[in-house]
Amino acid sequence: MARILVIAEQRNGKLSEATLELCKAAKEIASGLGATPAAAVFYKDDSIAKEVANYIPEVFAVVDAKLASYDADLFVQAVKAVVEAQDVKGVLIPHSYDGVDYAGKAALAIGAGIVSNCNKAAVEGGTVVFTRNTYNGKIQEQRSVKTDKFVATFEKGAYDKEAAGGAGSVTAVSVSLTDSRRKIKEVIATMAGSVDISQAKIIVSGGRGTKEKDKYNDVIVNLAKKLGGEYGASRPVVDAGWTDAARQVGQSGKTVVPVLYVAAGISGAIQHVAGMKGSQCIVAINKDPEAPIFNIATYGIVGDLFEVIPAMMEALG
Amino acid sequence: MKIVVLVKEVPDMESKFKIVGDAKIDESQIAFKMNDFDEYAVEAALQLKEKFGGEVVIVSSGPDRVTKEVRQAFAMGADWGIHVSDPQIDEGDNFVVAGALVKAIESLGGVDLVMTGVQAEDDQAALTGVFVADMLNFSHCTNVVKIEVGADQKSLTINRELEGGLNEVLEMATPAVLTIQSGINQPRYPTLPGIMKAKKKRLDLKKAADLGVGAIGEAGSKTKFHKIFFPVSEHKAEIIQGDAKAAAKTLVDKLRNEAKVI
Ligand SMILES: Cc1cc2nc3c(=O)[nH]c(=O)nc-3n(C[C@H](O)[C@H](O)[C@H](O)COP(=O)(O)OP(=O)(O)OC[C@H]3O[C@@H](n4cnc5c(N)ncnc54)[C@H](O)[C@@H]3O)c2cc1C
Repeated sequence: MARILVIAEQRNGKLSEATLELCKAAKEIASGLGATPAAAVFYKDDSIAKEVANYIPEVFAVVDAKLASYDADLFVQAVKAVVEAQDVKGVLIPHSYDGVDYAGKAALAIGAGIVSNCNKAAVEGGTVVFTRNTYNGKIQEQRSVKTDKFVATFEKGAYDKEAAGGAGSVTAVSVSLTDSRRKIKEVIATMAGSVDISQAKIIVSGGRGTKEKDKYNDVIVNLAKKLGGEYGASRPVVDAGWTDAARQVGQSGKTVVPVLYVAAGISGAIQHVAGMKGSQCIVAINKDPEAPIFNIATYGIVGDLFEVIPAMMEALG
Repeated sequence: MKIVVLVKEVPDMESKFKIVGDAKIDESQIAFKMNDFDEYAVEAALQLKEKFGGEVVIVSSGPDRVTKEVRQAFAMGADWGIHVSDPQIDEGDNFVVAGALVKAIESLGGVDLVMTGVQAEDDQAALTGVFVADMLNFSHCTNVVKIEVGADQKSLTINRELEGGLNEVLEMATPAVLTIQSGINQPRYPTLPGIMKAKKKRLDLKKAADLGVGAIGEAGSKTKFHKIFFPVSEHKAEIIQGDAKAAAKTLVDKLRNEAKVI
């Protein structure tokens, strides 16, 4: 039977949550297509393959010392080898830093169409129709592939994590890998800073809508202080140098779970939301009623943050 | 160094979006601008040119109006450009567009680096750069946040952004494709003399046939478009009505007495 194949992902020997989400996705898509879910693990030993076998019935392991860390060239060769050796219909890859680095190449290598950054897949009359975010989350798009095989990348959180408990098989697949054209020198931490906002009970974050550094300080920092909380930011605010990188919330910043998160002048891009959606109470202040942030907020005010925040300060007394 | 920057025009995401026939956005309501991530790529290329000499060539695919963004890159300091202008390419998916961009890059010869944004803000696919690298058989790196070029102008030391504030430091060689992440630099504003010069810089117009692009339109695409729609969320915020003052007062009251979080 044809397979829907998850490509597992690890960092420092730790399996990613996204891999477990894709195990769930593979199960759903496979059942709609009359296929079976499977996974492929590329690593220096078979430890991760064995771990993944707790979540999915069939695991293919490419074991090679060269695969201690992720590498684009080597992953593409390994995907191709597994797809050629087995009956694979679809390949699922996390839309993560590593995933976006090789998924497009893997698709070309196996002659498949790719739909990237998906949040849903539905089987309609034998075709998998993928739903994905476009226009910064303002519009959803549906797309399928025209090729026999497909590759799809899924955003984090698109599916729940598959629960452990299975006892899948692990089959070795041998591949003679070339040398990579990239050599990893080291992995470094870049977000070191004096503050750790991840423990704060209240966070007030400002986005590009705060316009400039002084204004960001004026409204965001002051409201945070008034509420006895920390101030945070979306990525463009950090990119522009209005505040420290340590205060960035999101996929490439901090994950925070405060009791209260105020997002002012933040549109609610998935990469930002990834870092704050676990907050207990979310307040969104945005002049655009269609901003995606309102889809995850508890309370929303549609308006100009430069009017709303001073009014909040006044109401707080 | 000979550096190509791939630039895309995208809607300003604060525009009012209207969907026509489940298939298109009503472009008459949209303001267009350069993809943010590409602006960082242009700046990164200009900084390398300033250090090592050479030229920066802008390649952009799209309708006539994209010349505005190409000229913006010229005004920042890019030397000249190629406008891939063919509705049959615009109708294609990322695979078709990447194929056309590759033909344009190949027509230049001797390219050391191709740079573009990590993703386009409109389709959010993050595919074009990687496709281009594969089709050119160049090595590549995505999510680049730092670039160092050795004295030989061939060896690259690249920081690739990873989750949780980590960077992977990589060594690779030109020719290469780098997809540039926001924050790598502070893109310069075009100066007035820059804008004046930009008007006279060379911009070649190329159709699919001029470039010998094989895969075009729907037929050349590997994916099939179904439809677009506004997201339907099961959860919507409770929108607090009233002017700023009244709404802020109600909000504070709710935070105190309903949510009990302050
Ligand atoms: C790999 C990758 C990783 C990323 N990681 C992160 C991350 O960790 N964190 C992160 O935040 N982003 C991240 N991003 C960027 C993300 O995609 C968005 O670009 C970013 O979150 C947008 O920030 P923003 O909402 O502040 O700006 P915009 O999207 O530009 O939104 C600004 C908002 O402000 C509103 N506004 C403007 N003026 C006013 C006003 N006067 N009053 C009220 N509202 C106003 C507008 O309506 C708009 O909704 C990442 C992107 C990539 C590709």
